[in-house]
Amino acid sequence: MTDLLLLCTIAGQRAALPALRVQSVVEVSSITPIPGTPPFVAGLTALRSQALTVIDSALAIGLPAAPHGANPRAAVVETGGYLYALLLDGAEDVCEPLGPPMPVTGGFGETWRRVARGMVETGDEPALLLDIEALIAGPQSVAA
Amino acid sequence: MDDLLADFIAETREMLEASGSELVAWEADPADRARIDTIFRFVHTVKGNCGFFDFPALERLSHAAEDALAECRAGRREADRALVSAVLAIIDRIGEMTDAIERGEASDADDQHDARLIAALAPDGDLVEPSASLAPAPAITPIPGEAADLTSGPGAGETDPAGPMRPVVQRSIRLPVDLLDEVMKGVSDMVLARNDLARRLREAGEQPTIDGPFERLSAILADVRGSISRMRMQRLEHLFGSLPRLVRDLSNELGKQVMVDCEGGDVELDREMVEMVRDPLTHIIRNAIDHGIERPSDRLARGKREIGLLRFTARQSGNQIHLAVTDDGRGLDTAKLAAKAMASGLHTQAELGAMSLEQKQQLIFEPGLSTADAVSAISGRGVGMDVVRANIEKIGGSIGVTSRPGEGTVIELRLPLTLSIIAALTVTSGGQTFAVPQSYVEEIVFGRSEHLEFAAAGERTLVTFRGRRVPCLSLNRILGQDSGEAVAWRSKTLALLRLANNEVFALAVDSVLDHEDVVIKPIAPAIMDTRLYAGTTLLDDGRPMMLLDIPSIAARNDLSGELRAGSIRETQDRPRERPGAPLMMFAALDGRRCAVRLDLVRRIDTVPVADITLEGATSQVVIDGRILPLAGHESGALPQGVCRMLRLTDGDAEIAYAVREVLDTAEMHGDPVPSTGGGGIEGTLLLDGRIVALLDGYGLFARHANVRPREPLTCHLPENGDWADAILKPLLDQAGYRIAEDGEAEADLAIRLSANDAPGRARHVIHLSNDPDHTGEDTVYRYDREALLGMLQRVRREKAA
Repeated sequence: MTDLLLLCTIAGQRAALPALRVQSVVEVSSITPIPGTPPFVAGLTALRSQALTVIDSALAIGLPAAPHGANPRAAVVETGGYLYALLLDGAEDVCEPLGPPMPVTGGFGETWRRVARGMVETGDEPALLLDIEALIAGPQSVAA
Repeated sequence: MDDLLADFIAETREMLEASGSELVAWEADPADRARIDTIFRFVHTVKGNCGFFDFPALERLSHAAEDALAECRAGRREADRALVSAVLAIIDRIGEMTDAIERGEASDADDQHDARLIAALAPDGDLVEPSASLAPAPAITPIPGEAADLTSGPGAGETDPAGPMRPVVQRSIRLPVDLLDEVMKGVSDMVLARNDLARRLREAGEQPTIDGPFERLSAILADVRGSISRMRMQRLEHLFGSLPRLVRDLSNELGKQVMVDCEGGDVELDREMVEMVRDPLTHIIRNAIDHGIERPSDRLARGKREIGLLRFTARQSGNQIHLAVTDDGRGLDTAKLAAKAMASGLHTQAELGAMSLEQKQQLIFEPGLSTADAVSAISGRGVGMDVVRANIEKIGGSIGVTSRPGEGTVIELRLPLTLSIIAALTVTSGGQTFAVPQSYVEEIVFGRSEHLEFAAAGERTLVTFRGRRVPCLSLNRILGQDSGEAVAWRSKTLALLRLANNEVFALAVDSVLDHEDVVIKPIAPAIMDTRLYAGTTLLDDGRPMMLLDIPSIAARNDLSGELRAGSIRETQDRPRERPGAPLMMFAALDGRRCAVRLDLVRRIDTVPVADITLEGATSQVVIDGRILPLAGHESGALPQGVCRMLRLTDGDAEIAYAVREVLDTAEMHGDPVPSTGGGGIEGTLLLDGRIVALLDGYGLFARHANVRPREPLTCHLPENGDWADAILKPLLDQAGYRIAEDGEAEADLAIRLSANDAPGRARHVIHLSNDPDHTGEDTVYRYDREALLGMLQRVRREKAA
């Protein structure tokens, strides 16, 4: 069985995250901004007395900021022992991909290239499979 | 020792339980090699552990069993039922003895019985019924009198109620630390949930049926929280226990003799903290033995005992543990430290000259300093006390050193009790709440307090409080919450923070809320990278609050280094050690390098040249709507457009001093070379190899100051309106008088033009006459300015007296 995918929308783009890595999809009710952090770190939010670092996925990819609603959806993932909430435009479905992630001739474009592991066919529309660590690292790692 | 014993008992019992099923399986199939191996390992471990504790009977038993099993493992003997029984009997007996040891019955020896058990191991030994070994054992003992001793199981106390009370070793179990952490986290979460509930209950108003049980729940939770915190605690004995060996090895290697003395082993510290302290402590010990304690021959020559002493003392003070390592060695060689610091370019000669002995001693914590000339295998490998300090500060502690030459050195560590709960001061900035670790906070002062004086030195704001001038940072600005406008310092609250190395700075926050104990959780690397925060915690309502990383913030603002160079001056607290007077260096209008004592500088302004009126000695400048006497303009032409002004004050009067450029702050060492030329120069100084003219503050104020005492004297004017208002009043103003209001009962002075002119009461009266010849003790001619000013002066002096 291939790994399940969480299909979601980030900055209007159909994207996919490895579903096994996603602990849950939550509604983020309040975000406490943290002064001094790069813009893609939206702040902290509390989930069952755990502090989650909220990542604005669009900004983390390097795209312009997209407006979020009052209670945006977020995918909760853990990496390096820390919990993160990745803000999404929406989370649609969990599905099994039809094949392994494939490169696209001509690439995905500068901004997406850093975070995309490939394109997956989902039976419906294709989606970009994102690398969670690359996403959380934020756009500054390109410059570094 | 007790702890080690408890560990031994716990471990033995754990293995007994684990081997229970193995034993049964082995009994079913005596030839099972895997079982033999397991049981062999058990008795082998017991035998090994016994060696530490001097339990000869236990050791004999386990040794015998080990031997027999080793024969089987080597294939020299078949494991048969007789052997299994014999081994099981011994293992049962080990269990019994362990229980006895736990109860403090050191020797539960019954040599005959034990000998029988051991004999049973022999290939042709008697068959011992293993199940009979526990209780019925006395029955087969031929000596009846020993029965009570043999039943040393749980029943022993009952059969011999008259027996002496024996010290009870606390029963303990071993748990993975992870589990403890998990439970601790659970309790923390419970506290948060309770707080949330408490808030909702408060909002809902009084509800007696719920409030009572809720109170009880709160109390229980508080107890549980306390117990859980204690679960993480470990006595320092654990750490101390390993020190004698370490010291012995090190001192042997270095050809020195050192005795160890530990005090306060019963102080408890967070387990994790104990582990974190181990390495720094080892390093401190290495240093002490290598650099501090002299060779035996040297010690004898100095009239000290041949054997050096290394003392460890621990005590708890509030929520901190003070751990001191004292040696009676040669003490720190501050001259050498200073030389090294200069050689490595850390400090200039001038900086070092200004340092007190104490400050020089703290140099050992600077990176790259080692006083050992030769790099020995023990210390001086480049990993120095700077790393020790960094590690201690990382866990929220601090480190300091005091030393007396020839007598020894004390290194004191101050450690927080636990890593995860800290006392914090909550403050607000930009509408958000932040926490500052309480351990840094020295004092809280309102910005509007009269005891505070703010001064600007270039980009830096300084605040003077209790005679101490310290740098001041705005939290708004640090966090990037302000728009870059000037900070309204007076509206802020200042927290005076003392860093680990005794440096102080003021942090201006919007407001200070409360003291709280907060549970600190780690934060993600992306947030760590800001180097502003040390962790996060959840408020009662579940919102996260950031814990500020004070040392990092200080370092980011270049405070650590700058302060270390000694720009902090405790003018009142330390009269003995006179550090160099702080100076502000500037370029005068003619480009000459000059300096003025920093204490005189109130602030630095930039003024449009249009606001300056040049008129020889009485030149003036308008700053902030006030006319100030101007100085410094004599030295050269004013620049185009705007001019930088130093605003100097002697406490009462204020002078603006025009300069071309503000350069830097520096320190004055030694006395200036007195100037012969006068010209407002007190003398010349050598600063960083260049000649600098030091402004004569006294002469400056004597010449320019428009003395305006803080408390103006009051004066009634004659009722002859126009003349008094237009001509007399300015003179009075200049002399520091204020015109009394009509309602004021008694003024300091009344001035009268004619005898029948009687406006209000006053302590002094000056009569003004129209006739130059008509003068007397308090009568002067109205246009005799000198005489009138003289009288005004006299009144002032009498008032002051």
